[in-house]
Amino acid sequence: MARLAKYDVISIEDLSTGEIEQIFALADKFAAALESGTPSAIAAGLIMATLFYEPSTRTRLSFESAMHRLGGAVISSADMQASSAAKGESLADTVRVVSAYADLIVVRHPYDGAARVAAEYAPVPIINAGDGSREHPTQTLCDLYILRRKKGRLKGLTVALCGDLKFGRTVHSLIYALARFGANIVAVPYGGMNVPDYVLERVAAERNYNFSTVSIDELKSQAGGLDALYLTPSAPHQMALFTGEMPLERMPSARPPAALDAFYVTRLQRERLAEKDRAQAGFALFDARALRTSRAQEAVVMHPLPRTDELAYELDSDPRAVYFEQAAAGVPVRMALIAWMLEHRERPAAPAARIEPTLVFKGEPEPRCVNPACVTRHEGPYLHPRFRLARSANRALLSLRCEYCERELRVEFVGHATARRYYRFDENLYGYVRQWIDEGSLAVFETVKQAEESGYEPYRRGPQREIMNAAEIAAACNTIAVQIIADVADPTALALVGVISHGTMLALRLRGLIEAQTGVRAPCAALDVYGGDTAIHTIEGGADFDVNGRTIVLVDDVINSGWTVQRAMTALWHRGRPAAVKLAVLIDRGHRALPIRPNYVGRSIPTARAERVQVRLGPAAAAGEPRRAPDRVVVYSLVESLKEPESPA
Amino acid sequence: MSTPATVALDAEAIARCVKRIAREIAERGNGAGGGLILIGVVRRGASLAERIAAVLRGDGVAILNSGTLDISSYRDDGRGAPGDPRLIGRDIPFPIDGARVVLVDDVLYTGRTVRAALTALTDLGHPDAIELAVLVDRGAHELPIRADYVGKNIAAPADQRVYVRLNEIDGIDAVVIGGGKP
Repeated sequence: MARLAKYDVISIEDLSTGEIEQIFALADKFAAALESGTPSAIAAGLIMATLFYEPSTRTRLSFESAMHRLGGAVISSADMQASSAAKGESLADTVRVVSAYADLIVVRHPYDGAARVAAEYAPVPIINAGDGSREHPTQTLCDLYILRRKKGRLKGLTVALCGDLKFGRTVHSLIYALARFGANIVAVPYGGMNVPDYVLERVAAERNYNFSTVSIDELKSQAGGLDALYLTPSAPHQMALFTGEMPLERMPSARPPAALDAFYVTRLQRERLAEKDRAQAGFALFDARALRTSRAQEAVVMHPLPRTDELAYELDSDPRAVYFEQAAAGVPVRMALIAWMLEHRERPAAPAARIEPTLVFKGEPEPRCVNPACVTRHEGPYLHPRFRLARSANRALLSLRCEYCERELRVEFVGHATARRYYRFDENLYGYVRQWIDEGSLAVFETVKQAEESGYEPYRRGPQREIMNAAEIAAACNTIAVQIIADVADPTALALVGVISHGTMLALRLRGLIEAQTGVRAPCAALDVYGGDTAIHTIEGGADFDVNGRTIVLVDDVINSGWTVQRAMTALWHRGRPAAVKLAVLIDRGHRALPIRPNYVGRSIPTARAERVQVRLGPAAAAGEPRRAPDRVVVYSLVESLKEPESPA
Repeated sequence: MSTPATVALDAEAIARCVKRIAREIAERGNGAGGGLILIGVVRRGASLAERIAAVLRGDGVAILNSGTLDISSYRDDGRGAPGDPRLIGRDIPFPIDGARVVLVDDVLYTGRTVRAALTALTDLGHPDAIELAVLVDRGAHELPIRADYVGKNIAAPADQRVYVRLNEIDGIDAVVIGGGKP
């Protein structure tokens, strides 16, 4: 039996509108066949594997039921966390191995974008059964199918989405689909769990689609057909929902929504909330009151289930409650999807309609996705973060979108990898950045410091002046070492942590000076505030660098805003609880944005914001080696807002 | 602990400190143009933040938002030494990106509460700047933290406690040094 075509269903957007209609037509057929007990064997000889890295009842059972009903077979690892994943096997390896056992893999995973990773590494098609807080396309197929069956259409319907709209992945897939089908959406987030910006931006950019947000109290206050509503002036569109005066340009449909057609209620995704937020996330109960408004008389109530305590049981007997039908539709709809994939097995994988190419960072620092739940932050070194250019609301920042989790990364500094020059991004540079992307020579940096640590020079600099020479730097290090020794009662409790790379060099010099005076060789570590997750590496000594109970001297070359020190302290606290942290810097240039003050300062130098302080140090030259360029500290001004960058080369 | 308690600040002095801190916050202004957000550390820092906000509003200074952080300095080693404070809750239901955030606490001593607060705030977003206002700075910081606005510097010996009493919580406005828990 020929294998299925490699046609992955990762996002609801992987299926065209016509394809969804074809699947629904098949689902109607299968629903009728299930009703009449007519068996099917169209998937005989095929094996589906279900890999669930997160608990699931409905989704997994309905997939497995669907495959059995089609005459196919199922192999399953119900609890991946307890099996190979627990042994540290990567997702990529797992799906490659399982591809040899099955013709189709259904994956659920806790990290955003994980299904995309599975699809990239598995030779067999992948169906996403939920990846983190991102998407759950087959649930959306069920939702749309029921909505269409109950209402006869999708276009022009008004659907109120209630509950956790932030982490609810079913909601995100549903929003993309409703926008596509021309339905109107009213967001009713509970407890501040609003639709994330990246979802709003995506439907706004791709579908020119906006929707309004109201509170559940505002919704309920409509009980009894009241048409007045207290409105804040900043949200005039809320009024429109209840008065029919919806500004037309906000809505994809020409018909103002006089009535609500459906409520889609979701549970709070407690497992995706940080511990500290759990206690606070207030969740309203959706009950019969919400259905009493004159605008909701015809509305159906949907819920992807399981419910916790957000949906009143009293609704179950109301004919408008369709959530159990929705759950029952899981089998025929998933049968239809599998059958559709069988029918289209000759179909080549749809060409990815990428508007923007993937950015390549050859040997340059790879930008890290800002989303802590992104799969690229968890899967290990084989998986590189991938970005493409995105539209940005802020013209002073270059906007990149993570290809795995869709979150936006805003970049302030860009560089040309061959010219080794960096620039502060502004919109005048946009054309050049496009060109550099085409050449594969774009580099991006969080800060000027990161750019310079990576060996980039500013595009253009003003005249520079030397503010410290080698002798002055040596004297300053001496003074700092003496101050540290005077401050610290017990030098054996001391440890030095240098911020890569100049801070580390200074830390090693200080360690040498302290050892010369006290005979104690303090442990020394390097701290990389840019490398992946902020990391501390022991420079020598092998054993893990222990911060507990120690007096840590944090060393950096220049302190400016203080954000680097803040990140460094966060990294130290991940390691344990230091007895104290002292901060030593060669230069304090002012412009603090945080309440941080160094304990030891080589020199304080007032600078202008557009000036750059550059510290140049080398490792101590061994005897017999040629003299290196002498240590020095220079200040120069960055020439910014360039209109014509030099031609790269 | 039989040393007699000393009143370092009375109600009138506290009111003056609050006014002065508010005036300094207003004077420093807002270079980047983002809104001003006050974040009080529960509980007395939050009360002080409310008082500062009231003075600022009275002077016509716009405050974009106010919120609180609840940071517990629980003791974790059973020997009476304070363990590291950690975030146990927050009430900041608004974005802080691009804003000028003023963090308000009653006493700055080791700096560990402020460190936990800075981490909590930077977890929430990317403010333009975070400034620190405290009623009392005891000095002897264990971390490289400094306050931007200080009501009064009190260099009390390490074995003496400094108690900030506020009307909203304690029924009296006073800063007391030593003398056991009043």
